[in-house]
Amino acid sequence: MKKTRYLIAAAALLCALAIPATAAGPDALQKIIILATTTSTQDSGLLDVLVPLFERESGFQVKTISVGSGQAMKMGEKGEADVLLVHSPEAEKKFMADGFGVTRRLVMHNDFIVVGPATDPAKIKGVSAADAMKRIAQSGSVFASRGDNSGTHAKEKGLWKGAAINPEGQIWYQQTGLGMGQTLNVAAEKRGYTLTDRATYLSLKKRLGLEILVEGDSKLLNIYHVIELNQVSWPKVNSQGGKAFADFMLAKKTQEIIGSFGVDKFGAPLFFPDAGKKPETLGL
Amino acid sequence: MSNLLEAENLRIRRGGVQVLDLPRFSVATEEKVAVVGPNGAGKSSLLLGLACLLRRETGTISFKGEPVMERGETAYRRKIAMVFQEPLLFDTTVLDNVAEGLRIRGKGREEARDIARDSLELFKVGQLTGRSAHKLSGGEAQRVSLARAFAVKPELILMDEPFSSLDLPTRIVLAEDLGRILHESGTAAIIATHDRLEAFHVVDRLLVLDGGIVVQEGRPSEVMAQPANAFVAAFRRTSYSGL
Amino acid sequence: MDLILDGIRTALSLIFSLDREVLAVTLLSLKVSCSATLASLFIGIPAGVLLALSDFPGRRFVISLVNTGMGLPPVVVGLFVTIFLWRNGPLGFLEILYTPAAMILAQAVIATPIVTGITIASIQNLPANLKLQVRALGATRLQTVWILVREARLPLLAAVMAGFGGVISEVGASIMVGGNIKGQTRVLTTATVMETGKGDFDVAIALSLILLALTFGVNYLLTVIQQRERPR
Repeated sequence: MKKTRYLIAAAALLCALAIPATAAGPDALQKIIILATTTSTQDSGLLDVLVPLFERESGFQVKTISVGSGQAMKMGEKGEADVLLVHSPEAEKKFMADGFGVTRRLVMHNDFIVVGPATDPAKIKGVSAADAMKRIAQSGSVFASRGDNSGTHAKEKGLWKGAAINPEGQIWYQQTGLGMGQTLNVAAEKRGYTLTDRATYLSLKKRLGLEILVEGDSKLLNIYHVIELNQVSWPKVNSQGGKAFADFMLAKKTQEIIGSFGVDKFGAPLFFPDAGKKPETLGL
Repeated sequence: MSNLLEAENLRIRRGGVQVLDLPRFSVATEEKVAVVGPNGAGKSSLLLGLACLLRRETGTISFKGEPVMERGETAYRRKIAMVFQEPLLFDTTVLDNVAEGLRIRGKGREEARDIARDSLELFKVGQLTGRSAHKLSGGEAQRVSLARAFAVKPELILMDEPFSSLDLPTRIVLAEDLGRILHESGTAAIIATHDRLEAFHVVDRLLVLDGGIVVQEGRPSEVMAQPANAFVAAFRRTSYSGL
Repeated sequence: MDLILDGIRTALSLIFSLDREVLAVTLLSLKVSCSATLASLFIGIPAGVLLALSDFPGRRFVISLVNTGMGLPPVVVGLFVTIFLWRNGPLGFLEILYTPAAMILAQAVIATPIVTGITIASIQNLPANLKLQVRALGATRLQTVWILVREARLPLLAAVMAGFGGVISEVGASIMVGGNIKGQTRVLTTATVMETGKGDFDVAIALSLILLALTFGVNYLLTVIQQRERPR
């Protein structure tokens, strides 16, 4: 029975260690910002650089919740976040029109690419995005879709629409409901095509065995906005914190960091800073 | 001899069936009573009811003249003891088993163990103190169970068929030892049994229970001379030793 | 095959170099799951003893609820706890969403039915008259509960292992209520999912190996205690 006593003591000690992790004073709450963003933004590693910098400068503590753009905006609608960093323009516009956000500002962009096997059975290499989608559908080649209302998924749906194709229910159209990395793996395994952001593709390129087949089309631009949420409808929203973060994302110094992120690892930047520019200038 | 324990209008129902109906029952200080009857006669219910371990429909139980109220049940039980047909020992050493009743009453570990050792000696199993309770024979285990009950120096001890699961030679020896210990310690006892052996060896009074009712009562010799029913008559016929 | 070997190689280097992040994630996993298991023991064992020993109308219904709860999908628990803990939810005033406290809460909800269910079975497995014998020895209700729990300590240790095992390895609830925030609510399971999603399989394998080692270690310890106490 003595051993049991030691065990209980050890466990109690561990709990005591856990308590500082959970305690938070009342003032501490205004110091916390919930940032809802997308998995691809998080996975690129950019936020791992920017967020600690912001926390140090501003004194706020950021809780980065990475989910799909769809879920991020839903969280915004319910007032369960303070600021959004998303890349799903059509949905964002509706979000703003419905009055859920107070400001929406352009932060940066990168681009999507269509990747597939080197053998390219649908023969889409070098064609426009719309053409590529048509050829994939016509050849019945496997296409792996995120299927999760993320920004990537929204872009993909837009492309199908633009090509006047409905892939739903077709046997070659595989909706994974998973993140970008995993969806890329599915495409690689099945020697199929998928739409991906460049950053994720570059970080996984070595293992995938997929090639970039379509890029540069203006329709493939991936635009990030930072949206501050409406405190009027949801009093618990930390609008001060949200604004501080949004301002930070557009600050000159931050934009410079964004522009140089990824260069040492991949030889080319993963994102292009766009603060202050008009979306039209990007060709959107 | 004054009455140690008195029960009035004791009625108990189990599973919707009336299993006990006793208008009056008493045990005097140092008196040994045997309750005999076939299976289902209500012997266990009587003992459990007297120990306030079984909900009774009606009836009051008084110990040394004071009625036992619901709040006082635990205090009352600390003045008596009960053993069952199975030894029901704890998963620990023999010594700590016997000490448990004393520990429950707040005694320190060493003091309890000292008293426990004496109790084990009394029942001739003093050499088993360090043994694990699971490694005992049937007879040894029941001796330990009795030692545990006696260690708390109860004024009254209730025994529900304490030897029924033991083989005959073991029962004979144990019954003799128990009888002697009961006599020497001056403990009152109520023993439920369907076997003649314990019934005659130790008791002053015999109660015959059938269908929850007392059908005969008196000194053992009286009851045997005028058996009230077939069971008692058959009882008389089986003879092991002594009487 | 190279992938797995790569993974194991990375795993060993991360572990032996005591990588800070990996260490932090491991420590948090332990803290959260131990706290949750302890909480579930404080609630589950008394509740289990009560349900095993007492009799009241609807007792069987409650026990079947407990048994159903043993198989409750963690992700369902995570969903409901999240909804309750949302700022605008009924427990939003607690302000614990996306903190370890929320994870401990969700994991405790998962573990408690498991502990309760096994406790009920353990107590019911004791000899039928044991409770009476203990009461006859003059034990109060509280003393009786303590003694019976002590008597059933071997199967109850199995309850501890089952409860702990259930929560150290769960990921659905932890992701939802914790948010997998670096340095705050990232634990071994959530980090593994994230690294897999990013395609960093070697790191994912490393984390998996650590999780397995941790789970094995804790269970080994408890098993040694349990088997050492065996009467044979």
